[in-house]
Amino acid sequence: MRGIVLFGGSSHQALTQRICDRLSCEPGKSFLAKFSNNETRVELYESVREQDVYIVQSGCGHVNDNFMELLIMIQACKTASAKKVTAVIPLFPYSRQPDAPFGKGAPLTRAPPMTVPSTPKTIPSTPKGSHPTTPRAGDFGTAGGATRLAEEMNGLELMGQEIFRLSSAMTGPTGSFYDNPSTSGGYRQWVARSGTLVAELLTCSGADHIITLDLHDPQYQGFFDCTVDNLSAFPIMIKYIQQHIYDYKDIVLVSPDAGGAKRATSIAEKLHMDFALIHKERRRPDKPQKHDLMLVGDVRGRRVVIIDDIVDTGTTIIKAAKLLHENGAKEIYCICTHGIFSGDALDRIEKSYLDKVIVSDSVPQEEHTKLCSKIATFPVAPLFSEAIRRIHNGESVSMLFDPSHELF
Amino acid sequence: MADNSIKIFTGNSHPELAKLVANRIGIDLAKAVVMKYSNQETSVTIGESVRDEDVFIIQSGCGEINDNLMELLIMINACKTASARRITAVIPCFPYARQDKKDKSRAPITAKLTANMLTVAGANHVITMDLHASQIQGFFNVPVDNLYCEPSMIKYISTQIPNWKNALIVSPDAGGAKRATSIADRLNLDFALIHKERKRANEVSRMVLVGDVRGKIAILVDDMADTCGTLGLAAKTLVENGAEKVYAIVAHGILSGKAIKVINESVIEKLVVTNTIPHEDKMAICPKLDVIDISPTLAEAIRRTHNGESVSYLFSHVPE
Repeated sequence: MRGIVLFGGSSHQALTQRICDRLSCEPGKSFLAKFSNNETRVELYESVREQDVYIVQSGCGHVNDNFMELLIMIQACKTASAKKVTAVIPLFPYSRQPDAPFGKGAPLTRAPPMTVPSTPKTIPSTPKGSHPTTPRAGDFGTAGGATRLAEEMNGLELMGQEIFRLSSAMTGPTGSFYDNPSTSGGYRQWVARSGTLVAELLTCSGADHIITLDLHDPQYQGFFDCTVDNLSAFPIMIKYIQQHIYDYKDIVLVSPDAGGAKRATSIAEKLHMDFALIHKERRRPDKPQKHDLMLVGDVRGRRVVIIDDIVDTGTTIIKAAKLLHENGAKEIYCICTHGIFSGDALDRIEKSYLDKVIVSDSVPQEEHTKLCSKIATFPVAPLFSEAIRRIHNGESVSMLFDPSHELF
Repeated sequence: MADNSIKIFTGNSHPELAKLVANRIGIDLAKAVVMKYSNQETSVTIGESVRDEDVFIIQSGCGEINDNLMELLIMINACKTASARRITAVIPCFPYARQDKKDKSRAPITAKLTANMLTVAGANHVITMDLHASQIQGFFNVPVDNLYCEPSMIKYISTQIPNWKNALIVSPDAGGAKRATSIADRLNLDFALIHKERKRANEVSRMVLVGDVRGKIAILVDDMADTCGTLGLAAKTLVENGAEKVYAIVAHGILSGKAIKVINESVIEKLVVTNTIPHEDKMAICPKLDVIDISPTLAEAIRRTHNGESVSYLFSHVPE
């Protein structure tokens, strides 16, 4: 390939190597490390003057460090007179944004007054997480108050994100604003939504083009002023189902929540499969935290495949698998684009009713497959290398959205 | 007089300094929760209304720098979308300040990138302390207040160093000569310079002393002490050339890697740093470490910025 230089960030060197193998070129030589005071250090050893530079960096692992590394590499290439800099970001960081905590769907009628202050209750699936980075909360609330905040936010749908539970050993000054949020003054919390900020930071560092895979929120493309190519892993997932799951026409495709229904139905139509949906129903308007999972559709005696875009803590798919098992499903598979598996997700998946969890290698999966026998992967390097080739040569990328197109 | 109030937020980099600053101004720190989600993404929740308020966010570029920088950017952005009137980023130790020029091919100018990021996130004003190169102020399109630790250092020398009238100020490299001469002038002391040749990043080779230190107390003055290779070698050179004692005063004590070991084994009598970077854990293992509190300077700057008064007083005086 002429006129192209491909650098890989430190988040996923293996994927960069695989993409370069497909393109028959070598990854650009660079040195990525940290100075002794934890500042990121980037040195590029290839000339990029008047070249098209592609930088592959996934938003996994230590997200902030990898993100800063990406920004610094983009800036380095831009100041070294690169013609065009494209950021290839398989898993886009900060793409899931919390909803404003004012309760969507709950009616705005007067709730019965809370005469007894509710005690914090434990929520069943708690990601304990043994991270080396302990939670250093910059807040000044009590331990109980902070737990209450975490629970309030847990109960409100955070699109699959789970708050890192603050350790109960944390103490602080008493009388924080968390203690009685319903009786204190009108102000609630303001949760930061970092989506626009991340888009602006990428543009201000100098990226001209972004290639990403299965953005959680397709509207996110509009946050950017530069071009965004949101590739789709569905054709690869469809091919995987056809090739690896026997008698696939007999399967029921299940979406684990209402938001993913559109995604699941479009695949179900292409493969002429049946479809079911799991719905979180709030029982009572005065206790919005209590959810009931309801299955819409019939799975008795059938094999099911749960389809989702991101599996992070695994709570959604584990709860879905439990419900499907209770409703008589025979075998339960799950296929997701991005497998983050943070906290103790792998342990819980091992113990759950899931038979197999299939994810792409947008996030490095070598460690995960070693720790959990139920994980299988499908490669996305062919997809990205084909996209890079077509974009560089100015050809149409539409073929990549067609499942009948042969990538392998 | 401004008609809105000051709100001071802090991230996780240096909450103690923020508390000192808030106490000095006489207000409480504003409530915010800054932590990480289980997948390592940063989560920021602002717990008070900031609509039409004067917001100051105190976050230093130390420790886990990238995490702290992302926290700062997300907090600035959160306050901007929450309709704050003005957002000031107070960054005692500016991150990536040393990567401020393209000194070899394809080197990034990360300080410029940081400046762009702060502006894009929504900061209207930046207050920082002893920038590595004061030209970094030009990287910004928004007003930057570069405060100085010099008055605090001068106060420390004249009150805490015994027999300081028999001392002279030494700059450990040629770049810091201007800083050292200005202190020497204010204290009416002599001045010397050490010229060093550097082979690789964070590694020093040969040192040449320019000036006479025989029989005097030498006070090394620099803006940053990172791995302390420079300071250790400089102290050795000074003693070999006849200095009686060697003190070192540094604005930002990053002290990463083997720095504490180098200091403990060197001939330096005392290493004095400011609290732009937290030091509790280092004080425990290094008896030679002493800390100057610069929170009065920051607090005064915040107060004067908010009230629209001149900040020039702080360039030559320490607020009591």
